[in-house]
Amino acid sequence: MKRTLSAILLAALAASALAAQAPTIPALKGKKVQLTLWTHEDANRMPLEKGYIAEFTAANPGVTVNYVTYPTDKIRDLTTTAFAANQGPDIFNLQISDAYPFMANGRVAPIDFKMTAYKDVKDLESKYLPGTLAPVIEKGKAYGLPLELTNYCLYLNKKIFRDAGLDPDKDYPKTWEDVMAVSEKIVQRNGEIITRRGFDFRYGVEPLICWVPMVEQLGGELISKDGKAIVGDDAWLKVLTYVRDFGPAGKNLGSPTYTAARKVFDLNKNEIAMSLSGLYQEARIIKSNPEFYNSKDWMVIPYPQWKDAAKRVPNNFYGHYYVVNAQSSKLAQQASWALVNYMLSHGEAYLQKVAIVQPSKSLMESKTFKEMPYSDVFAKDMSAAHVVYYGASSTKIDALLKEAFESVMLAGGPSPKEALERLRKSVTEVLASE
Amino acid sequence: MKRARKTRPSLEAAHDKWGWFFVAPAILYFSIFSFYPILYAFWMSLTNKKLLSLKPPTFVGFANYQKVLSSSDFWDSLKNTLEFTVGAFVPLFILSLAFALLISSRKRFQRALQMALYSPAVLSSVVAALIWLIIFDPRGLANAAANALMGTSGKDYMWLSSTSMVKVSTVIVYVWKYVGYFTILFVTGIGKIPASVVEASIIDGANARQRMLRITLPLLRPTTVLVSVMILIFCLKTFSTQYLFTQKGASLRAVNVVTLNIYQTAFRDQNLPQAGVMSILLFILMLVLSYAQLRASRGEEEQL
Repeated sequence: MKRTLSAILLAALAASALAAQAPTIPALKGKKVQLTLWTHEDANRMPLEKGYIAEFTAANPGVTVNYVTYPTDKIRDLTTTAFAANQGPDIFNLQISDAYPFMANGRVAPIDFKMTAYKDVKDLESKYLPGTLAPVIEKGKAYGLPLELTNYCLYLNKKIFRDAGLDPDKDYPKTWEDVMAVSEKIVQRNGEIITRRGFDFRYGVEPLICWVPMVEQLGGELISKDGKAIVGDDAWLKVLTYVRDFGPAGKNLGSPTYTAARKVFDLNKNEIAMSLSGLYQEARIIKSNPEFYNSKDWMVIPYPQWKDAAKRVPNNFYGHYYVVNAQSSKLAQQASWALVNYMLSHGEAYLQKVAIVQPSKSLMESKTFKEMPYSDVFAKDMSAAHVVYYGASSTKIDALLKEAFESVMLAGGPSPKEALERLRKSVTEVLASE
Repeated sequence: MKRARKTRPSLEAAHDKWGWFFVAPAILYFSIFSFYPILYAFWMSLTNKKLLSLKPPTFVGFANYQKVLSSSDFWDSLKNTLEFTVGAFVPLFILSLAFALLISSRKRFQRALQMALYSPAVLSSVVAALIWLIIFDPRGLANAAANALMGTSGKDYMWLSSTSMVKVSTVIVYVWKYVGYFTILFVTGIGKIPASVVEASIIDGANARQRMLRITLPLLRPTTVLVSVMILIFCLKTFSTQYLFTQKGASLRAVNVVTLNIYQTAFRDQNLPQAGVMSILLFILMLVLSYAQLRASRGEEEQL
């Protein structure tokens, strides 16, 4: 009996060792190279990637990797500073509208396909959903491998809906008008101070993701095909007015100065009923509040549309791509692409443990993806979505949008019309200086 | 006689040599960490260097100065900086002097009071701003305290969400953080006033108010000048509080001080030359204001 048990145990160990076997890269044999990898903080992703790095360095003992994480709101400035001093990391990832300026300035190396599982750009594109690699392909060369592609939908707390006398399955908001009306029913205040929000936007670093689709639904554009900035005044004014009415200077339903909606949502402390986030939020709910995750007291609904929308536009998706520093040595670049390729070859594990989606055709068709709660809601929205705006000045344009939308919400801020004019002038200047 | 003439210069030369020896580390330090960056920023401000670009910069003369000086964004940020400086300078100066006079007049708990006042200065500006972000949260202590003080209930004083209140909030944080630091400087200055002068005034029958107005304050003038110049420079360089507040939802336009504008221009917009221009202009402003303040105080001294 003991022998049989030992044999089974040994076989299991051997199998797990085999499963965790990273490839030995011939080009790296007998060579020593030290890599630095910078990425944004994600408590679920960090142990997973550190595990893959350990496997990779075990199979390629000459390679050492310094894995560094930074807060999401700091990593862009830190990476920019490091590259300005020509001290950038070998591997890094940023949200595509922040990463694109690095590509535009020749700071990112093209993929060394010999170090990856793909033959060439065509082969790479054939493995991913159409259009999802477009931001990192230029002049026939590919510059990044996708870590995650994210679109936001609305997370909804059913318990709070019921508490406010609403039926979450029937009364969930389909339009932005519904979002406002439902929020007014759910909100609770102590005088003017909100103690429970119905919904709140995502503020801070993601205006291109959060606000622009609302404008596009009404027929407006950030930048038109002929290069004009801020097109469709009616659409922009309607959204800016809606945002102002939502904020403390209007109906006082939310504000950028309250704690971020998605963080409060996970805690399930009767503080917010709806929050915008990506599929990855599911992994964060499991980590921070497993009881809530298993309670079935939450659900995900599609990104709302305007009642009089000119076209259906779901939330624009953004991407994080692992890219490699063009100033790293040839050997470091080869090792970097081999490592990135190895890490990202575990798409299902990223999905299971971090709930982030690499947009490969195989993963999107996998059982793992289909069994993720509400993955169908995200997938359906994403199929009709487009990537966020990216360009040489997308970081600056993002900041200008943030200022325009958040300033109209605040007391003493500009009127929607003033904010729109200021935004148009600034974005036009930025585009002219490119 | 001849011998003496020969010896004196050599002695002076020997003193000079030691003088140079002792100040050399400081000169070296300032050359590397202050003078070189200033010269580099000036050189950069005359080029078209983009932060991430690998292309070598081209000389463009004073074109960047023209652009910055004709930009409403720069003038708005200068206005914000001056508003902040005036707003923070007055309470900082008055409170630190008042606290110093109070501490110096006490016989007991002098050290404890100094430590209590100085402790916020030990905190990093980022930590201080983070603490105040929690206090200024709509459901935080600031609203609770203001409601209790003003006899209101559930009023949101919009510490961060009103364009005018956010200016007040940044001043509050700054005064709280640095009042202890300047109090210590004043306490040191008061300690240097000769006891014999104070004792003589007591014998002459001067009361506490007269001693403060006729003895302490006039003899404190060198410290007063030093503190006022330092407060001015500190205020003009303010950055962390405004940066963190705007990261957490406060209106950028309301508190976009020059230093924050420099940071955003350099790292967000990747426009190093225009950030350099603003740095040079801020440096000149500091130099001019400090010089004017020193001249004004010297003029007052001569009148006395």
